[in-house]
Formats: sequence, C-alpha cells, structure tokens
Amino acid sequence: MIITKKRDMDAILDNIRNYRHVFLLGCSECATLCATGGAEQLEEMKTLLTAQGKEVTGMFVAKTGCQVLGTKVELRQHAEAINAADCILAMACGAGTQTAVELFEDKPVYTVNDTLFLGNMTRLQQFHERCSQCGECILDKTGGICPVTACPKGILVGPCGGCKDGKCEVSPDVPCAWVKIYERMKRIDQLQEFCNTILPPKDWSKNTKPRIRNAKETKESP
Amino acid sequence: MSLQEALESGKFVVTAEIAPPKGTNTDEIKHLLDLYDGRVDAINATDNQSAVMRMSSLALSKIVLDHGHEAVVQMTCRDRNRLALQSDLLGAHALGIRNVVAMTGDHVIAGDHKQAKPVYDVESVQLLQMIRSLNEGRDMMGTPLKGPTGFYAGAVVTPEANPLEPQLIKFAKKVQAGAKYFQTQAIYDITMFNIFMSHARKMGAKVLAGIVVLKNERMAQYLNDNIAGIRVPAGMIAELAAAPSKAEKLETGIRMAARLIRQLKEERICDGIHIMAIGMEERVPEIMKQAGLLSD
Ligand code: SF4
Ligand code: SF4
Repeated sequence: MIITKKRDMDAILDNIRNYRHVFLLGCSECATLCATGGAEQLEEMKTLLTAQGKEVTGMFVAKTGCQVLGTKVELRQHAEAINAADCILAMACGAGTQTAVELFEDKPVYTVNDTLFLGNMTRLQQFHERCSQCGECILDKTGGICPVTACPKGILVGPCGGCKDGKCEVSPDVPCAWVKIYERMKRIDQLQEFCNTILPPKDWSKNTKPRIRNAKETKESP
Repeated sequence: MSLQEALESGKFVVTAEIAPPKGTNTDEIKHLLDLYDGRVDAINATDNQSAVMRMSSLALSKIVLDHGHEAVVQMTCRDRNRLALQSDLLGAHALGIRNVVAMTGDHVIAGDHKQAKPVYDVESVQLLQMIRSLNEGRDMMGTPLKGPTGFYAGAVVTPEANPLEPQLIKFAKKVQAGAKYFQTQAIYDITMFNIFMSHARKMGAKVLAGIVVLKNERMAQYLNDNIAGIRVPAGMIAELAAAPSKAEKLETGIRMAARLIRQLKEERICDGIHIMAIGMEERVPEIMKQAGLLSD
C-alpha cells in the first residue's frame, strides 16, 4: 500500500489561510490504514479546522481515492458541499490528491499528507518500504528480497564494504539487504545461483516518467 | 615502473593514499608528493572519501602523475551515473592515468552533503565490467571507441567482514569482472588476515593489505565499534593503553604498524601494503623505515 504521513498542521493551515470554507476528502484504502485519511481523521480535522474559525462544508471518504472515475461518481452526491467550499483538503496520498485536482478544475486542492513510499504493514500502523516500482522486477533473481529498495544504495551486487555485523552502513537499525538475500538464497537452496549471478545494471528507461499503462491493450492481444 | 609491473615483478609493493584538498590550494599535496618521492610505488587519489566533497580524484591523479608518481584514480559509483563514469574513464586514460580502483562508495548520509541524491547507477562489480569493456575498445552499450582505454583495474575488499561469506563471494565476482589487484580495509590481526589470504591466493588476484596507524586506544576502540570490517585485537588496544603519554601512544601505534608490515613482508603473506595515513602522512617514511622497507 501507499504509506502517507500527516504534514505539520501549521503548514496545512498556511496553505488554506485565504480560504474559509473547506471540503475534506479522505480515502478508505491506504490512507485509512495509515490513519491519515479515514473517517476518524476527517472528524479530527474538522474539529481542528472549526477551532481555527474555518467552516467544513462537507466531508467524504472515497472508496478508492486513486480511482478517478469511481471517485467522481461517489462525489456526485456531495456536489453542493463541494460547491460551497473555497478549497478541498485531500487526506489521501499524492495520487489521491491529484484525483481531486483532476475532478475539480477550478478549485484549489491541498494535500494534508506527505506520501512516503510503497510498503507493507508488518504490525499495526508499522510500515516498511518494500518496492520502488522500478519497472522491471528482479525479485526472481534475488530470493524475493528487493535490493533496489531494501539497500539504500540500490546496488545489484552486494554486500558493499559498509556492511557491519549484518547491518547496513546507513543505519545499525537496518539489516543489510544483501546479507538477507544471501541468507535467504542459501536457505532456499539457491546459493549457487547467488554465487554465479552478476546482475547487469538496471534498465532505467523502464522508469521514464510519467509512466502510463493500458492494461486493456495486453488483454486483447493474445 | 608501473603499478602492474611492480605487482607482477613480485616485489613488496607500497601504495599510499592522498585525499584531495577541500578547495583549490594544492600546496600541501605537493609537499606530500615530495615526501613520498622514491618511497612508494603508487599514490591513490581518493574520490570524495566518506562522501565529503573535495577536489575530484581525477584532477588530483593528474597532479600526482605530473609530479612523477604512478597515479591510481579511485572511482566510486556514488556521484556519477554510467555516462559520467565512462566519460571520466576515457578522460583519465587520455590524461595518462593507467590505474583505477573501482568502489561502490560510502553513502551520502555519511558525508557533508547529506541532502544529495545518491546515484549508484552501477556498483563496483558492474564498474569493473565497464572498465574491462572500455579496455576492450567498446563502451557499455557495445559501441566501438576511437581508441580503447588501458587500465589496470583494482578493487577493494574487507578481509574481516562479518558475515564473511557474502563478502568473499563478492570478492570472487570482482575478480571475475576484471579486478587484478585489491586494496583491503585496514587489517591488524595477522591470523584473521591469513585466513582471508589463503582464500584470495586461490583467486589469483594481487592483494595490498590496508594499513591505518592507531594513534591511541580510543581510536582503536572507535574503529572496532564504528567501522565495518575493522577488528583491532584486544592485545593491541592494551599495548596502546599501557603507553603513558599521547606521544608515546602514537609511537606505539607506529611501532605496531611497522611490526605488522614487516611480518607481512617477511612471511610473504600478501603482495604489498596500501597505507591510509589519514593525517599522519608525515610519519609514513618513518613507518616504512621501521618496517625495513627503506634503507635510508
Ligand atoms: S525489483 Fe524491487 S523495485 Fe523493482 S519492481 Fe521488483 S520489488 Fe519493485
Ligand atoms: S550495507 Fe548492505 S544494504 Fe547497506 S548499502 Fe551496503 S549492501 Fe546495501
């Protein structure tokens, strides 16, 4: 899921200093799990804004904030509240925020969150970055552990000389990705493959932004 | 004599490391180059070592070369993508530099520009492959070059890494990718180093043992606690602690380094040493003398 973190309230208030009427838009997926855009956080935000003299004209938790068409349909029933608002506060990730930008061409939209990474929830509200969406997955070559993400250098042949007692040079709290890959491949009986593989440099042309994907195209072609 | 010739001649090779200045003034560098005249086989120019911004290693290598020394350009993958690395390699060859040490490079978080975007488009093994390809007259994409490079490629290794096995596997990959010689992380424990060397000998690459002089027991402890792959044995720490004054601790550290070098040489444990003086450059001739490497 996409991990988000609420920004400093002062920065949020500064962004909307010229607007009094605000509509709040949350998301029931990642932002809810991250406690940055669920029903509870929208209520909290409403209280905070009211205390600051703002008026919340309405609020809604979209089912999937990054799903533009679905969100558009869902928001129809809130047209009045949105019309009455001077701006929209998006309590979602950067993509969810831009759904609102796309749907409301003449209204300012501000995000409440910083979008951090694509990660897994390993414990309640504890998130770990697992994939950097590089565009060409190499998990099949690395025992299923992603060095592009788990190694701060993203290096494809490791470990580097900074690995200390199995920990990463960047932080003693972070395990060295390449020691993990080594241990895992050894455990699943792929040590020989670990020894024999020198991965080529990544093809970053697969990462040229902005990327567009039309899944329908592939489905149709056999 | 080139570094390659020196290493292949079987003599006990000595290389030293110089950090480029943080600025444009090269007076101190020139003084060090004078100091090393006739005493070392090659001089390495470090590449924004510890991710601290300094003059480029390429420029310093040229200064080293012009001074009459054999130059080794260190090249990390932290600050340059594959285009920049290749073009710097072509430039280095054109300037007359024939030795390059390929390394991944410390993360920017360790340095003085922590906000910088780290590159690591390739890492050390892939950089070695790149050098081999340029040596063969082709760029990374296979496009023929107007004139190949002629580098003697080196790399780095940590003989006492923990865990050791993945480090040894990476070492093997560096050899496979074209590394002809290695500079090691600072070593202190001959027994441990011997274990590594018995492995390294099988791979056929030349090895220069890393030498860092210990100034006192605090420094030794700091290295043990904070630097990957450095293990100063307790006996050495005790020897430093027993010295009564700051000056005597330093003399003890120098004696210990000289003793280590002497043993490496006399027992032909490795092919030479790589001295990382880190501010102690003035004492290098003295260390070499005590180790029996200089006659004067
Ligand atoms: S290699 Fe890593 S970053 Fe790339 S797609 Fe696979 S998991 Fe994601
Ligand atoms: S210590 Fe391991 S995880 Fe950290 S940068 Fe080096 S190879 Fe990557």
